[in-house]
Amino acid sequence: MKRHVSVLLTLVVLASLLLAACGGGSQPAVQTEGLKEEAFAPTKLEAPDCEYGGEIKSIEAVDELTVKITLCVPDPAFPSKIAFTSFAVQPREYLQSTGGNGALLEKPIGTGPYYVAQWERGNQLVFKAFGDYWGEKAKVDTLVFRWGTESAQRLLELQSGTVDGIDNVGPDDFATVEGDSNLALMTRPALNIMYIGINNTFAPFDNELVRQAFAQAIDRQRIVDNFYPAGSEVASHFTPCSIPNGCVGDAWYDFNPDAAKALLEEAGYNADNPFPTIKLHYRDVVRGYLPDPNVVAQDIQAQLKENLGVTVEIDVMESGAFLDAADSGSLDGLHMLGWGADYPDQTNFVGYHFGAGSSKQFGDKYEDLVAAIESGAQLATDAERKPFYEETNKLIKQHVPMIPVAHGGSAVAYKAAVTGGHASPLGNESFSVMSNGADTFVWMQNAEPISLYCADETDGESLRACEQVTQSLLGYEVGGTAVEAVLAESYEASDDLMTWTFKLRPDVKFHNGFTLDAADVVASLVLQWDASNPLHTGNTGAFSYWSGLFGPFLNAPAE
Amino acid sequence: MSADTPKIAKLDAEGLSLKSVSLWQITWRRLFKRKSAVLGMVILGIMVFVALTAQWIAPYPPTLSMLDAKPPQNLDKRSSPCIHLFGCPADQPQHILGTDGNIRDEFSRLLFGSRLSLMVGLATVSFAIAIGTVLGALSGYFGGWVDNLIMRIMDVLLAFPSLLLAIAIVTVLGPGLINALLAIGIVSIPSYARVVRASVLSVREMDYVSATRALGGNTNQILFHRILPNALTPLIVQGTLGIATAILDAAALSFLGLGAQPPTPEWGSMLGAERNQVFTAPHLVFYPGLAIMLTVLSFNLLGDGLRDALDPRLAHVS
Repeated sequence: MKRHVSVLLTLVVLASLLLAACGGGSQPAVQTEGLKEEAFAPTKLEAPDCEYGGEIKSIEAVDELTVKITLCVPDPAFPSKIAFTSFAVQPREYLQSTGGNGALLEKPIGTGPYYVAQWERGNQLVFKAFGDYWGEKAKVDTLVFRWGTESAQRLLELQSGTVDGIDNVGPDDFATVEGDSNLALMTRPALNIMYIGINNTFAPFDNELVRQAFAQAIDRQRIVDNFYPAGSEVASHFTPCSIPNGCVGDAWYDFNPDAAKALLEEAGYNADNPFPTIKLHYRDVVRGYLPDPNVVAQDIQAQLKENLGVTVEIDVMESGAFLDAADSGSLDGLHMLGWGADYPDQTNFVGYHFGAGSSKQFGDKYEDLVAAIESGAQLATDAERKPFYEETNKLIKQHVPMIPVAHGGSAVAYKAAVTGGHASPLGNESFSVMSNGADTFVWMQNAEPISLYCADETDGESLRACEQVTQSLLGYEVGGTAVEAVLAESYEASDDLMTWTFKLRPDVKFHNGFTLDAADVVASLVLQWDASNPLHTGNTGAFSYWSGLFGPFLNAPAE
Repeated sequence: MSADTPKIAKLDAEGLSLKSVSLWQITWRRLFKRKSAVLGMVILGIMVFVALTAQWIAPYPPTLSMLDAKPPQNLDKRSSPCIHLFGCPADQPQHILGTDGNIRDEFSRLLFGSRLSLMVGLATVSFAIAIGTVLGALSGYFGGWVDNLIMRIMDVLLAFPSLLLAIAIVTVLGPGLINALLAIGIVSIPSYARVVRASVLSVREMDYVSATRALGGNTNQILFHRILPNALTPLIVQGTLGIATAILDAAALSFLGLGAQPPTPEWGSMLGAERNQVFTAPHLVFYPGLAIMLTVLSFNLLGDGLRDALDPRLAHVS
């Protein structure tokens, strides 16, 4: 009898231990020690008027599950914009406790299917599936991001099986991957642009004739034919044609070296006054829009020598320094850069680059161009917007703030056994729908994320990592560009497209166990909008996407 | 006994003729007896010949894209070698080593690259020797605080890994071939300064130096006319071997994008530009690498040979 009791007791103890061990569900995935969840209180930030120049009038948490955003101007693209990664929602208590940077840059707390388990800087980034995710849970328990700048290295890792998927297959390796029955190649639609940017504040490019000369002096067809993979095309306009109103109006100049030479002469350059040596800046970083930067740069160098007799010095810069220099307008001469669509709208292309809120990348803004872009952005239908974008494209051709070169085709590759593998036209592959049949899925991209607070990042390698972890009110369909409801269950706009009301999904949990409410949404957005907000710090404090999409900040310090 | 006399006379004659043979002639003879040194000289000779005649041997200008050639050639980038003699179709333009990523003739670039590599080697080593010799000679001749000051600075320079120091210097000066030359020159000064100082230290105590001093020779005369010429041999060996290192360093800098700037044909940067194509276009990585290897090897063989030939202790070996 006694023996039975002790056996029973042992069993009970063992069972309770087992229960305790498995009871991790009650523990949040991410611990935020010392943080207490605050009760919801309605909150609102409103601009005194719309004179400050931005698009947003007010952001308001009406009740626990209702967010209302009013605009200064109608914006039909608002859902596409607010769905973007950089407007993701994090718990307001956490934002407050980090001061807007610090831990926030390394460990974002979101509502997504994965949470950040560990970031070994320089080595790998490890995500774990979030057990309390509100939607369909991630298929694989552990997701690992690794990176390698060399396409040969990425392909080798995929072939040897140490990774399950790679980004940007080298242009010469498409055939290799297609010919390998163990691998699957997925091409990414060319929803991007590679351009040669020109800052109009530096001589000799402060002269419009010179810019127009260069616009005709480069054989872009030759660059695309020789140095871009299949699926790429010469850019007839800045924006790809698959984006509504992207390529309306006049196409770009034809390649015409004689006309270019004549223009240079008209601008006052001849044998007695030779054209100065100029620089071509770029970063040696492979992107979908630029698969082989060094080779393309040297071809441009050779072409300008051959066609215009202009000597070009190549200046390869470190990626971060290059982007900073471009943004702050300190790159003289020419620079090669590109852009991949974040959401499929003209505002994401011409609006971001040449609109009212654009950076100093191309020097002083072209006022007529800004006016055309802003007028077009406010109209509701594509047909109404068309004349303004025709005007925009005509003005871009006239002013030449940049020379559009190519819409680059690119591809990702997975092991053939991976289910759910896809290539996103926006570059934001969603790994929670993929499975390799094991408990760890390894993805290898070009570079390490810069930080994981994507409100203040523009680099695609960072954004892709953030997209696994954090979510915005709206989002984009997996592998596509259509906008769908994510944290907001539904949303509606007033008839004038100026007031947008979002109904939040109830009982959405953050990775630290807090519950999502409207005040979290407002806190996450206003810290970006309001430059005087103490949390308006971020990684660099630039918050480029906010200003690019919604115009100047509220309470921006006078320049 | 009478039969012996002519023998002695003959020996005398031999002795006399031996005396008239200079150190350089002896060295030259010894050098030719070493197969490895001869091999080094032959390779080097070919390299020098190629460098001098590159513009006549090379089928195309090194920076010309075949798309700009007249008539334009419709080639794929990184096309594999095409040699008509070995069965490449006659309607296809001949490129002995294929074309590179920018559709330029790899063979022509390789030929012109030899110019740059040899020039880099000679220029940096001459620069380093010129400065290193002066510093080492002053250091060894005057001794005392001059010696201390100079040699401690050299020690500091030596304490850095040379390539890292060169990278740091180039980063400050800005990338480019001339700056890379300067950087490599600067980092190799200490080894020459040390060698010269050591030989000056041993030579300055020689009797003929004392004799010159006794005859009233001034510092200039003693140092540059008596001591230095007799302290040169180790410097020659060190210099020859140093050229090899300098070429390697320059290639490394260019590989990293800090040396010769595009479109200059430089072996290191050619290698660096095509590093991703190891599997798809191996010839673009193989030939520049081979060229670097051969050049460095030739200088190393020659340097080793010279060291043995110039060393009197090894006289019996030859």
